[in-house]
Amino acid sequence: MPLPHPPRAAIITGLGVVSPLGSGVPGFWDGLVAGRTAVAPITAFPAADLEPRNAAEVRDVPADDPDRAGTFALRAAGEALAHADLDGVGRGRMGVALGTTLGGMRLFERWMAREPMPPPEHVPYYAPAVRLARTLGCRGPVATPQLACASGTHAIALAAGWVRQGRADVVLAGGTDFLCRFVVAGFNCLRATAERARPFDVTRRGLVLGEGAAIVVVEEAGHAARREARLLARLAGVGCSADATHMTAPDREGGGATRALLAALDDAGLTPAAVDFVSAHGTGTPYNDAMEAVALARVFGAGRVPVNSIKGAIGHTLGAAGALEAVLCVETLARGVIPPTAALETVDPVCAVLDLVHGAPRRRTVGAAVSTSSGFAGTNAALVFTHP
Amino acid sequence: MSRITITAGHALASVTHVPLGHLAEAVQARAARSERITALTLAAAGAALAAAGLVSDPAASPSPRIGVVLGTAFGCFLTNAAYQDRLADGGPPAASPRLFAATVSNAAAGELAIAYRLAGPGVTLTAGAASGLAALGHATDLLRAGQADALVAGGVDALGAPLTRWLAEGGLNCGRPPAEAVALLVLEEPTFARARAAPVLGTALGHASGFEPEAADGSAGDGLARAVSAALEEADVQPGDLALAVSAAPPALAGLESRALAAALGRARPRIVSPKDTYGETFGAAGPLALLTALAEAPGGAPVLVLDVCASGHVGALVAESAST
Repeated sequence: MPLPHPPRAAIITGLGVVSPLGSGVPGFWDGLVAGRTAVAPITAFPAADLEPRNAAEVRDVPADDPDRAGTFALRAAGEALAHADLDGVGRGRMGVALGTTLGGMRLFERWMAREPMPPPEHVPYYAPAVRLARTLGCRGPVATPQLACASGTHAIALAAGWVRQGRADVVLAGGTDFLCRFVVAGFNCLRATAERARPFDVTRRGLVLGEGAAIVVVEEAGHAARREARLLARLAGVGCSADATHMTAPDREGGGATRALLAALDDAGLTPAAVDFVSAHGTGTPYNDAMEAVALARVFGAGRVPVNSIKGAIGHTLGAAGALEAVLCVETLARGVIPPTAALETVDPVCAVLDLVHGAPRRRTVGAAVSTSSGFAGTNAALVFTHP
Repeated sequence: MSRITITAGHALASVTHVPLGHLAEAVQARAARSERITALTLAAAGAALAAAGLVSDPAASPSPRIGVVLGTAFGCFLTNAAYQDRLADGGPPAASPRLFAATVSNAAAGELAIAYRLAGPGVTLTAGAASGLAALGHATDLLRAGQADALVAGGVDALGAPLTRWLAEGGLNCGRPPAEAVALLVLEEPTFARARAAPVLGTALGHASGFEPEAADGSAGDGLARAVSAALEEADVQPGDLALAVSAAPPALAGLESRALAAALGRARPRIVSPKDTYGETFGAAGPLALLTALAEAPGGAPVLVLDVCASGHVGALVAESAST
């Protein structure tokens, strides 16, 4: 018998994805399990002068869509609402927590170039959340967490807080980001990029950017029970922290990531020993992956828990990354399969303290899955998912 | 109980040069080399933390139970514009790593965390001109959930040429002169504040955020009315007990705001004040700035209602009381 939920537990009742492996949760999942990688030369905008110039692009939303990030989010939300069977449910207590780093940036780029003024709501950052809330008629809380590459993870944590505090019955939570010259040139000039993303591999040289969106429906347990919703997972714990050490380089000791993980586990009332799978941030930069190996081994014990990164498959999707990894965690709980880390061939000795899943998917009963994210300015966030 | 102690607050509005003289030398240096939004944040946070008695030795280890929750409408807009200008003019070789690293809206909160070793929860969020109350609300939720003992929380937005041009061209119709401000509070879990004999500026009693999907065409939904009612209910305050209420709507949304107040407050008619008539539209700083104004104006122990209303549709309400005198 599962334990009764504490009052106002946060339950996941729907999922939606737009990814470089395809739109829809099934296509995303099948691509991950098959170990496919969507990394290829950029086609959506002029990239001849960019070096490196590979990325993982979403192919089924037109490149000239004036608001790709908003369109990704809207499509993912549509899938998630239908999955949760929420299409006919009132929107008075429905909120939106949607992280992004670049949402609205295309319109911003055009305006900077003195092209015609975009519609007023298309300001950077909160444009995708506003588009979602207006289109769906949401009257609950609407906010855009802006925590760089951990934005999607923070958004889901924010949604958990709203639901548990009784501030919303349902929250569309997740992240969205799209590729543009602004961001590719930026990571290139930081010398943080490579032509292939090879998380935890001895030959890894940097990250590859990606784009996409994921929305998870975070629903209050009583609300879900009353409408007899299908319960996919429990969002059992959330935690976040600041490195408080350096703006762009992760804390070498992994102190911030460790604090976020321990806070999330404490929030879930679980010990590290209860965790069966960790979705790592795993960007493929030499620095991040080494730091993360230290942090994960410290929290979970060397080699004890299977770890993967999906950034070899879909690149680093920035504000969407944590949300796509949340979908991965929920699916892993349901299916008892951990997808391999695409493009990881030879584990770096400094990362060998981790049990990295690579080469082939691994069957494993997963009772608790953890996702961890970190970002510029020293932000960290972690989520704990269990069976409902 | 859900009350959260406000131990200090500090605001800067209409400043030309960001005052840094009150900060420790290392923090001054950090502010001087940072983007303007970060300098504003460091200046206000340094004063608020000092007033709260929470500035620790820079050599001390990080405080994992103290953090930052910042609301901002435009965040790194100016940095993005500066970076984009160089990229558009000179192509990828002209892209600036220094600027790109600051093209994240959490840069200010990150610099603040480093400057004061605040290693606990760190969140930056945007909800248009309702970002400030959204940040204060989330900070109180984190404290109630036991995820931190104390948080620097509030809002900030910096202005500059590209942003003022954007606003002048109707980027966000706020109806009042845009102005720059930062307003930060120190919020603490009550037993933590009591145990360290912290000063008390007031108490946050309840809050709620909502959205008005049809705000753009001026027709009122019930997002704001619901938020006001929810904030009062959580605060356990009757509308008739409010000493004052802060109006925040852009002129185009004045009807929406007055209908929402009438629906949520019934016959109660608290005194209405409008700090935006004094300070202009300060976006992310507006709500926290209004809260500090209201706490200073209301009699000790009397509850106040602060609103945030943005043309984007984001709305918020917060109920607090000033310290008993």
